[in-house]
Amino acid sequence: MTYEILKPETLQDAFGLLDTDDPMVRPFSGGTALMLMMKSGIFSPSRLVVLRDIPGLNGIRLEEDGSLWIGALTTLAELEKSDLVAQHAPVVTHALRHLSNRRVRNVARIGGALAHGDPHMDLPPLLSALNAEVIVEGSNQGRRISVQDLVTGYYETSLESNELIVAVRIPSQQSWQSAYRKFTARSADDWPALGVAVSLNASRNEIQDLRLVVGAATERPTRLEQSEGILRQEGRSGLERATEAAMASVEFMDDAHGSSQWKKALLRVELRRAVQEILDRNT
Amino acid sequence: MTKRSITFYLNGRPVEAYVSPKDTLVDLLRNLDHFGARESCGQGLCGCCTVLVNGTSVSGCLELAELIEGKNLDTIEGLDAGGELSVVQQAFIDAGAFQCGFCTSGFILMVEQLLDENDSPTPDEARDYLSGNLCRCAAYPEILDAVQLAADKRKSLQKEPA
Repeated sequence: MTYEILKPETLQDAFGLLDTDDPMVRPFSGGTALMLMMKSGIFSPSRLVVLRDIPGLNGIRLEEDGSLWIGALTTLAELEKSDLVAQHAPVVTHALRHLSNRRVRNVARIGGALAHGDPHMDLPPLLSALNAEVIVEGSNQGRRISVQDLVTGYYETSLESNELIVAVRIPSQQSWQSAYRKFTARSADDWPALGVAVSLNASRNEIQDLRLVVGAATERPTRLEQSEGILRQEGRSGLERATEAAMASVEFMDDAHGSSQWKKALLRVELRRAVQEILDRNT
Repeated sequence: MTKRSITFYLNGRPVEAYVSPKDTLVDLLRNLDHFGARESCGQGLCGCCTVLVNGTSVSGCLELAELIEGKNLDTIEGLDAGGELSVVQQAFIDAGAFQCGFCTSGFILMVEQLLDENDSPTPDEARDYLSGNLCRCAAYPEILDAVQLAADKRKSLQKEPA
């Protein structure tokens, strides 16, 4: 079996090429993840729709409302080197330094990293904790989807076959602060065995509001709502109880990076450290 | 399998080649008798297949050959184009920065990139930059020596009057 490689030059042309019932037709941006699936025979495409030549999907800019607009074709290396990202979402800059290696970051794109729906990624839980959303266009009307609602399951997203992520929007973080902790079983830049993203609104050094998201240990990035509730009510004194609640509420997944039991133990440690890391910054 | 003709620049020279949709850059280079970029892990983790696309390092094993059309592809074979080894190549020899040599072309291309971005990397900065390249002979201390040697040599060459 072979496949065709098509390189549309406009979004409209891309939607036309993607608008089919054939599940083996795929959009292709950086392709670093899809290539692994194709080389191992897990995925055999009939058509790759290469998005790289489509104008208007690149770049990073600060919007009037203080949010960051990041074009879907922005490479992870561009994100890593962006002064705007370092200033308005420093946790992203920090996380990217250990997200795979330089060559992969030179090629992989933020839109593809989210659309792939791979649970073993750093950006989906992190962007979810930052309350980011994706701007989606398609043959029909465009829409916005929160990153948390984008991934619906194991390699499953709420995107239709004729829809594409055109940009990611990170809202102004104002008094919110974030941390991302990743634990790897092999090298530091490996896929995470567990990733924990925490965003806290901790003005006056008391937790006003927060978002806790765990990734990689679960089949999709998972909000720890019960733990959030405990910390909202009890503040930092509830940290131990919140950690216990997280361990009890999450369905952990065994994979090549570790057993579910081990990941459960990791969550206890890393969730506490991530929250503590932010609180310690303010003392 | 249907093959398509593409044109691109290989180490600065225009080239026409026939590629099938499944070919990676490593496949394409082997068909053109360029064996410096080697597929080892096949997953973009080890850096043995490092090449430069429009001046940026990529894993040749993860890039489709068809997508190089119209672009510049630079490989280790282009570094001594004038018949003289590059400063980084010579530094690897002087520092003894390899045993089997399988990973060397990838490391050298990455060190060229590192020194283009940062002319005086600290050992930690060099370790961080090269963390995506693996040397199973574990010549890492000598590779770091080679980075230092090459950095010093490049700076001294810049100071010399033309």
